[in-house]
Amino acid sequence: MSVDLLPRPNPRAPLIASGLIAVSVVLLAIGSYIGLFHAPPEHFMGDVQRIMYVHVPTAWTAMLVLVVAFVCAIAFLFSQRWKWDAWLEASIEVGVLLALLLCVQGSIWAKPTWGVWWDWDPRLTSTAVLCFAFLGVLALRRFVEDPLKRATWSAVATIIAAADVPIVYMSVKWWNSLHQTQSTPQTVASSMVTPLRINAFGILFLAAGFLVLRSHLAQRRLAGELAPPLPERAEAHVQPTLGGAS
Amino acid sequence: MTGGIITGGWEFVWAAYGLTFAALAIYGGSLALKIRGEARNDQEQKR
Amino acid sequence: MSQLVAALRKDLLLSWRSRAQAAAVVVFGATALLLLSFAVGPNAAALRQLAGGFLWVALLFSSTLALAESFRAETEQKGMEGLLLLPANPVSLFYGKALANWLQLMLMGMGLLPVLIVLYDPDLGRLWELCGILLLGTAGLSAPGTLYAGMAAQVRAQQVLLPLLLFPLVVPVLLAAVKASSLLLLGDPMGQAGSWALLLLAFNGIYWPLCGLLFGTVIEE
Repeated sequence: MSVDLLPRPNPRAPLIASGLIAVSVVLLAIGSYIGLFHAPPEHFMGDVQRIMYVHVPTAWTAMLVLVVAFVCAIAFLFSQRWKWDAWLEASIEVGVLLALLLCVQGSIWAKPTWGVWWDWDPRLTSTAVLCFAFLGVLALRRFVEDPLKRATWSAVATIIAAADVPIVYMSVKWWNSLHQTQSTPQTVASSMVTPLRINAFGILFLAAGFLVLRSHLAQRRLAGELAPPLPERAEAHVQPTLGGAS
Repeated sequence: MTGGIITGGWEFVWAAYGLTFAALAIYGGSLALKIRGEARNDQEQKR
Repeated sequence: MSQLVAALRKDLLLSWRSRAQAAAVVVFGATALLLLSFAVGPNAAALRQLAGGFLWVALLFSSTLALAESFRAETEQKGMEGLLLLPANPVSLFYGKALANWLQLMLMGMGLLPVLIVLYDPDLGRLWELCGILLLGTAGLSAPGTLYAGMAAQVRAQQVLLPLLLFPLVVPVLLAAVKASSLLLLGDPMGQAGSWALLLLAFNGIYWPLCGLLFGTVIEE
C-alpha cells in the first residue's frame, strides 16, 4: 500500500477560512436577529419555537459534515492520499461539536415543550449515539501514534459508525413508537423560512471555515510527523555539508 | 402531549442561542490561536 | 473455504485451551447480574421486568473481556506478525475468529441463564426462543467486536478503547435484544419478539460482511 509522500498544506487556507467565517458571522447575526425579534411566534409553542432557527441549521450542517467524514474515510482507503486523513480528522471533530450542540439545543427545547429534559425522541437519541460513536473515533486517533495506522483505523471506524447511524435511527424510532411520542411540528410557515435559510447558510459557512482551518492544522501536523528528520541546527551551522548522514 | 399555547420561555431561547454561539466562538478561537502559534513557529524557523 | 475452516479450528483450539479464563468471564457476568439485582432490591415484579435488560448488560460487559482475550495469543506472543505470514487471507482469519467468538459468547449467554432464572424469576415458557435471541444478539456483538478487538489489541489503551468503540455501535443490537428478551421473559402474549429478531438479523446481515471486508486493513502492518 503506497502512500503519497507528504501532505502539502495550502498556505492560503487561513485566509479562505477567515473569509468564510466572516461571511457566516454576518449571516448568523442577520438571521438570528430576524428569527428572534421579527418572525411571528408559533401557534402552539410560542416564543420557545424560536430555538428552531439555530437548531434546524445545526442539524442540517451536522449531518452534512458527518457525510463529509464518511466520504473522506472512503477516499482515504481508496486513494491513500494524506489530505483525506486531514479532512477526516477535521470533519469528525467539527461534526462531533455540532452533534453535541444539537443534543444540548434539543434538550433545552424539550424542557418547556414536553416537560422533560430527555424524551428518547428518535432523532435526538440517534444524535446522542452518533456523538458517542464519533467521540470514540477521536479517542482512537489519540491513542494511535503511527500516522498510517491512525489514518487507516479511523477511516474504518468512521465507515462502520456511519453505516450504523440509519440502523440506530430506525431501531430507536421503532422502540419508541411502542411508547407515547411527542411530535415536533413539521410544517414551517413561510414567514419563518427566511431566517431559517439565512441561519442555515450561516452555520454552513461557519462549519466550512472551521473545516478548512482544522484540516490545515492537521496537514501541518502530518507534514511534521512524516518528514525526514532535519539535521540539528548547531551541527548544520558547524558542518554545512552534514545532511543525510545516519 | 401539551395542548394550548406556551407563553414566555425566553430564558430557554437565550440559553440555546447563547450556548450554541459561545461554543462555536470558543472552538473558532482555539483554532485561530493554534494557527497563530504555527505561524509564529514558521517565522522563528526562517530566522 | 479451507482457510476459513483452518482459521476456525485454530481459534476454537485456542479458546478451548484458555477455557479457565472463559469460565472466569462467565463468573464475572454472573456477579454483574447479582450486583444489578441488588440495585433493584427485593422487588419481584421489577426484577422480572428488568431481567431482559440486565441479561444483555451483563453479557455486553463480559463480551469486552472475552473479545479482548481472543487476541491475547496474537499480542503476547507476537502472533500478529505470524498471522500475517500465513498463506491465509485476512478475510478467512477474521471469520474464523469472529465465528469462534460468537460460539464463546453464545455459551457465556447460556451460562448466565441459570443465574438469571434464579435471581430474577422470569417466565420460562419461551426459553427456546430466548436462546434464538441469544444466538442473534451475540452474533451482532461478535462481528464488530472482533474487528475492534483486533485494533485495540495493537495499542496501549486497549481496555478502554474496545468498549469505547464497541458500545455506541451495538446500540441497535442492545435495543432489539433487550426488547425481545424482555418480551419473551414475560411471556410475550402478542408474539412481538419476532419483529425484533428481524432487526437483529438485519444488523448481522450488514455487519458480518462489512467487518470482514475491513479487517484486512486493520491488521496490516
